[in-house]
Amino acid sequence: MRSIRARRSVCALALGWLLAGCSQELSAPIPTAHPEDATPRRSGKFTFASFGDIRSLDPANVSDGLSVQLLENLFAGLLDYDEHGKITPDLAENWTISDDGTSFRFVLREGVRFHDGEEVTAQDVKRSVERALHPSAPNPYASAFASITGYEPYRAGKVDHLEGVTVSGQYVVTFHLDAPDASFLPLLAMHPLRPVCRSAKNRYEDTWHPCGAGPFKLPAGGWDRGREITLVRHPGYFRPGLPYLDEVHALFHVNFNAQRFKFVGGDLDILRDFLAPDLLKFQADPRWKPYGEYEIEKTVGGIAMNTEMPPFDNVEVRRAIASAIDRDKLRLIRAANLRAADRPVPPSIEGFDPNLRGQHYDYPAALDHMRRAGFAYDPVTKIGGYPHVIPYLVYGQSIDEYLAQVMQQMLAKIGIRIEIRVVNYASFLALRGRRGESPMGPGSWTEDYPEPSTFLEPIFTSQAINDSDSNNWAFYKNPRFDDLVSRAKREVDQGRRQKLYTEAQALLCDEAPWAFTHYYRLYTQWHPYLHDYRPHPLWATDLRKVWLDRAGGAPLARSFFHPKDALATLFDRSSQ
Amino acid sequence: MIRRIARRLAWSLFVIWATVTLAFLVNFALPSNPARIVAGPQAPPARVAAVRKELGLDRPLTVQYAYFLKRLAHVGPNTADGPHATCLAVGGGLHVDLGKSYQQRRPVVTILAERLPRTLMLAAAAIFVQMTLGILAGVIAAVYKRTAIDFLAVSTSLIGISTPTFVTGLLLQWFFGHYLHLLPLDGYGESPGEHLASLILPALTLGIFGAAYYTRLVRDEMIGQLSQGYVQTALAKGLPRRTMIVRHALRNAWVPIVTLVGLEAGTLVGGAVVTESIFRWPGLGSLSVTAMLDRDGPIVMGSVIVTAIAVTLSTVAADVMTGLLDPRSRARD
Repeated sequence: MRSIRARRSVCALALGWLLAGCSQELSAPIPTAHPEDATPRRSGKFTFASFGDIRSLDPANVSDGLSVQLLENLFAGLLDYDEHGKITPDLAENWTISDDGTSFRFVLREGVRFHDGEEVTAQDVKRSVERALHPSAPNPYASAFASITGYEPYRAGKVDHLEGVTVSGQYVVTFHLDAPDASFLPLLAMHPLRPVCRSAKNRYEDTWHPCGAGPFKLPAGGWDRGREITLVRHPGYFRPGLPYLDEVHALFHVNFNAQRFKFVGGDLDILRDFLAPDLLKFQADPRWKPYGEYEIEKTVGGIAMNTEMPPFDNVEVRRAIASAIDRDKLRLIRAANLRAADRPVPPSIEGFDPNLRGQHYDYPAALDHMRRAGFAYDPVTKIGGYPHVIPYLVYGQSIDEYLAQVMQQMLAKIGIRIEIRVVNYASFLALRGRRGESPMGPGSWTEDYPEPSTFLEPIFTSQAINDSDSNNWAFYKNPRFDDLVSRAKREVDQGRRQKLYTEAQALLCDEAPWAFTHYYRLYTQWHPYLHDYRPHPLWATDLRKVWLDRAGGAPLARSFFHPKDALATLFDRSSQ
Repeated sequence: MIRRIARRLAWSLFVIWATVTLAFLVNFALPSNPARIVAGPQAPPARVAAVRKELGLDRPLTVQYAYFLKRLAHVGPNTADGPHATCLAVGGGLHVDLGKSYQQRRPVVTILAERLPRTLMLAAAAIFVQMTLGILAGVIAAVYKRTAIDFLAVSTSLIGISTPTFVTGLLLQWFFGHYLHLLPLDGYGESPGEHLASLILPALTLGIFGAAYYTRLVRDEMIGQLSQGYVQTALAKGLPRRTMIVRHALRNAWVPIVTLVGLEAGTLVGGAVVTESIFRWPGLGSLSVTAMLDRDGPIVMGSVIVTAIAVTLSTVAADVMTGLLDPRSRARD
C-alpha cells in the first residue's frame, strides 16, 4: 500500500512538473507592500540584467547603449534630458545662447560635489571637455563636437588647450562655436563631455576608476568585468534627498531564459530582454500589462543599396525596391518590437513631419519602376526582371536574417532575385563598409542624440563615404542633400530647420539609397513594487527618483531559509 | 620513462607553436576589421583608422607576427609600469606578455589569470561527475549484462549523448533553479560556498553529457575483463564477486578511462562554451567565443595558447598514467 502511494506521489510530482513545464504560465507580479502610502522609501537595491556587457565606464570612451545606462547614473552633466526627452539643466543652473547661436554660457550650481568630495567648478568642466576631446581619448563622439572653436588643432595635438572653452570665475563656463550648430546642445546633454573627478587628470587613461557627480558612485571593486557591477548611493548628490535607492546592481551575459526566471522570481526588478513568445505573454496578461511600457523608437532599419554598384546605380531599381516592400507585413516577423517605417527619422524625434509622404508599398508602381529601369517583369509569366542574382549580406542569428527571408519573397515578385549570404557580425561590419564589396544588405542606425541630423549626416552625406570603412553603406552622393543637412545644422530658427530636414528626408525617400522598412522599439516590464519607474527616452534606466516598496521584503530576507542559500551556507561553513 | 616524458613534452612545444601560428593566421585571414569593432559600429571612419594605427593593425602580417612572438616570452625587470605593464613575470626575469585586450583594454594575462581558475574548477567538477556517473553505470551494466538494468544504463547513456548540452542545461536550470529554487540559476557567487553551489548545475550539465561516453566505454571494457580466465579462476578460488570486480576487473579497465579523461580535460579547459553561456559561468569558453566574435586578437591568442597547453599537458599526463597502470605500454616504448 505504501509503495502504491509513493508511486502515485512520484507520478503526481512528475505530471505536475511536466504540466508546469509545458504551460509555463506566468506567476503573479510581486505587489507593493504599502499600496495606500505613496511616500517614497529610501532604501533598497535595484537589480537589472542584460544579455550584453558594458565596454567602458569612462564618458570619453563609450558608444554602446548599455554603458550609457550606467553612465547616466554615475555622471551628472551640465544639461540632461527629462522624462519627456526635453533638454533640462542639471549641473548648470541656467544657460544663455548668443543671438548668432555661436556662444553658449553656462552658470554652474554652487556646492555640487564629485564622488570624491571635491567641488565641481567651471575649471573641472573645461578640464573634462579637454580630456574627452584630447587625441589620447578614444572618444567615438569626438568629431561630433568639431564645431567648437579650435577643435581641429586641439584634436590633432597641435595645441595644449581647446580655444573654444573659456572659464570666468569659479562657476561660469562658455563654449564658443565656429558656426551655429543645431546639434550642439542635444550632444552636450549626452554623456561624452560630462565632468569627471580630478583623479581623471587631463588625459585619458584606461586604468582610471570612474568618478563623477552623478547620483550613484562606483565603489572600489564594484565592477567585476564581464559579470556584474554594483553602484552605491552618492551621499553628496546635489539634489536633496535623492536618490532613494541604496544600490544599483547590474548583471551581464544573462541569457533570456534566466532573465525571465530571475525576474518572475523577484531577483530582477525590471526585464528588457525578452524571447518573442515571452513578451507576448507579458503583454497579454492583465496582471502584468499595467507595469510594462514601450521605449521610444531609437533605431531605424532598412535595405541599404550600394548606389555605385549595378543594378542600384539606377535610381529606378532602388525606387522599385522601396515600393515593393510591404512594410506592414514585414513587421509581423516580430510584431511586438517592429513598427513600419517610411523615412529615416523616427516619429519620436522632435520635428517629425506627418505631412511628408515617405516610402510606401505600391506594387504596380514597383513594376512600373522596373520597366523604366529597363528590367520589365511580367508577374503572370514570371518573365523578365533583373537577370542576375544579387548577394544580400547579413549576419547570422539577427532579426535582419529573418527579415531578409521575407524580403526575398517580396522582391521576387518584381523580378529581383537575392541570395542571402550569412556571415558573422565581425565580417559583416568589415564587408559592408568596403567600396564595391556589397551591393545590398540590411542597414540599421541608432540615434546618438535626439535630433534629426543623427539619422542623416553620418549615413547619407558624401562626407561619410570612405573607401575601406564607410558609414554611408549606400555610397550615396547628392550635393543637394549634403547642402540641405549642412544648412539645417547651422539654422538657428527651429521652424526653418525642421523644414530643411523634411526636405532632405523627402529627397532620400525619393532617391532611395535605403528602402526604409522598420523602426525598432524595446519593451520594459517591471514589478508593481517598483515606484516612479518609466523607461527613460534616452537612458532607459534613470534611477534618481525610483524607489522600492516590496511586499515580503527584500529578496535576501525572503530567502533567508531558502534551500539555495542554505546550501551555500553549508558549503561556506564546511570550507571555513 | 623520463626520456619518454621529455620526448612528449618536446613534441607538445611544437604542437603549441603550430596551433598558435595557425590561430594567428586564421585570425588575420578572416574578413574582419577589429578596429571597427573596437571603435563601435557607428564610429566615424577617421576614428576607426586611428584605432587601427593605435592597435598596430596597420602593419604587415609578418611584422605583427614577429612582434607577437618577440613579446610572448622575453626577459625584463619586475615592474608593472611602462613597456612591461602587460607582462606576467614567471620567475628568473622571464616575462610572458600577450598584450592588451582590444575591447577590455586590460592586460590579457590578467584576464586569463582571472578566468583560468574558474575554468579549472568547472573542468574538475565536470570530470568528477562524468567519471562517477559513467563508471558506476558502466560497471553495473557490465555486471548485469543483457538484463533490464543493462538496457536502462545503455539507453540512458544514449539519451545523454544525444541530448545537446543547451537542452540539458536549460532543463536543469529551470527545474533546480526556477522550479525548486534549490540552486542558483546562474552566476558564480561571492563566497566559496556560493561558488560551489553555483558550480553544481553547470558541472551536472557537462557531467551528464560526458558520462554517457564513460558508461559505454567502461561497460564494454568490463564485459571483456569479466570474460577473462583470471576472473573465473579468482571466483573459483572463493574471492568475493564484489572484490573481484572492483580490485581486479575494474583496475584493468582503467587504461582507456585515463586516456578519455586526458582528452576530456583538455577540451573542458578550452571551454565548455554553451554551458558557460547558459549558466553565466565566467570561464575561458565564454571569453574565447566573445573574443572571436569581436575579433579581439590578443584574447583569442591567449585563449588558444592556454587551451593548447592544457590539451597537450593532459594528453602527456594521460600517457604517463597509462604507462604506470599498464606495464605492457612501457615495454612497447
